[in-house]
Amino acid sequence: MSDRRPPTIAQVIREQFKATGLSLRIYLMIAAGLLLVATFLAITDFINGRGGVEFAPELSMIPAFAGALLPIAVWHRDRPFGSRFLWTLPFDRTRHTLAKMLAGWMWLMIAGATFLVWLLILALITKGNIAGDEVVKLLPSTVIPDPVTLDPSLVRTMTWIPPKALWLVPFTSATATYLLVTAITLGFKHPFRWILGTVALVYLMAAIGHGLAADAFWPRLGRITNTLMEGRYGVDAVLSARTESLHTQVVLSNAERIGVWRALPKISDWLIATLLWTSIGITGLIAALYRNREQR
Amino acid sequence: MTTTNATALAVETTNLVKHYGDQVALDSVSFNVPEGSVYVLVGANGAGKSTTFKILLNLERPTSGDAKVFGLRTDANGPQARVQIGYVPEQQESPYPWMTSGRLLEYVAAYYPSWDAAYAAHLVKSLNIRTGKKSGTLSKGELRRLQLAMAMAHRPPLLLLDEPTEGLDIIARKQALSLLAEHLADSPTTVIIATHHVHEVDSLTDYVGVLKEGKLQAQMQRDELRKFVATQRPNDTRPLSLEDAIATLLSEETSR
Repeated sequence: MSDRRPPTIAQVIREQFKATGLSLRIYLMIAAGLLLVATFLAITDFINGRGGVEFAPELSMIPAFAGALLPIAVWHRDRPFGSRFLWTLPFDRTRHTLAKMLAGWMWLMIAGATFLVWLLILALITKGNIAGDEVVKLLPSTVIPDPVTLDPSLVRTMTWIPPKALWLVPFTSATATYLLVTAITLGFKHPFRWILGTVALVYLMAAIGHGLAADAFWPRLGRITNTLMEGRYGVDAVLSARTESLHTQVVLSNAERIGVWRALPKISDWLIATLLWTSIGITGLIAALYRNREQR
Repeated sequence: MTTTNATALAVETTNLVKHYGDQVALDSVSFNVPEGSVYVLVGANGAGKSTTFKILLNLERPTSGDAKVFGLRTDANGPQARVQIGYVPEQQESPYPWMTSGRLLEYVAAYYPSWDAAYAAHLVKSLNIRTGKKSGTLSKGELRRLQLAMAMAHRPPLLLLDEPTEGLDIIARKQALSLLAEHLADSPTTVIIATHHVHEVDSLTDYVGVLKEGKLQAQMQRDELRKFVATQRPNDTRPLSLEDAIATLLSEETSR
């Protein structure tokens, strides 16, 4: 037997980085085109006196959505089930999967950083707010009052400067969604069937519950969904550090409708939510890697 | 009918069984391929040829039995086994249609430290591969030639060729086969060819394995096989080609 060795992990990561970039070229070109259009619109608005672009990275969910879509593009030709070309190459399957996943993640981070730099440059050009500070109206408690019941004097007005740490939100949210969707893509033979099937099952259960006149069913389901999406450690805490879900509209007792915050976003909530959802993604990924390990 | 010389073995399978649900793809297949030989694996579609290759590459796990490549159990040493192998799959589709042929060759080269760039360039020239063309737009024949170059350019000690001439026109077939013959002369290589077109590889063949419905019906040296079949039909004095011998053998097995 000849003294042949498989390539090193560094060689494989380098090659996967190049190959993944090539496979994503068309999507990157589309994204660049969209940024160009957005630049044109933002500058036109600025010239027409309609204000500048605000640099608020925590508000942008674009990287998180990109993170959710990217695994589909990355694994499109190299699904782990069957005898796809990637798996005929002389490298351990688990490490190969990790290398390819890492390559996709590196492109995601590069794209995210480019997006933020673009946003910053656009904010500078259009003389927008770069510090992100804004005057906010704060409710006395996190509970949204019934319409036309809140005394206007109880609404506190203050200036909120988002902590700089929130600039990391686009990167952490993109990483979390990337891990979660990668785990689903690699873990299931038919990931779309599972996702659609789960959604269908939830609706079916809801419909059955409703049909059985379980009056408490809908509110209970609503509470669960709400906790999952907008709770302290819910999806929105990962995607926007709750800057989306804490913001709401109320009608004051004087019938005036205003935008208010139920509370200010907390760094600790964002950190815990990010750790929680990223851990779920990593756990799913470990299970998917185990399922697709080298045959033994 | 399972005889091969007792020399060092490039491939050795022992009672290989593979089930896909209720379907039996391989049924206790034991075959030996001596180092440096050309072994032709013959059988109808679904006989188990491709499954055998997938087990040798550790893409599939055998239900029972084991397979060894150069003494390495493939299920315990997948990457180490695959690095010894150049593989041309049955499927004729580009793994990455957005890559040009040249880029695809570079991609594969990164995985094989033994990649011989000069030899790859020679193969590209000899097989008339257009390196600037997107691999997704290649014809079946062009793609097959590219797959052959990808499999051979790292000078693997073991070549697994699954229907290597499928999709090639007559000229391209001749080119590919003469290149294979040249490769065998230049590089010490063991080759397992799964094919329906036995006549094309007749002159290269050392051993023949006949698979039928997952069972290895016969395994012997090419000339032994001819002699064996000739003895079965003493009244027929016509010269017997390898293809005729295999066809006779298969039909006899069927009639039994």
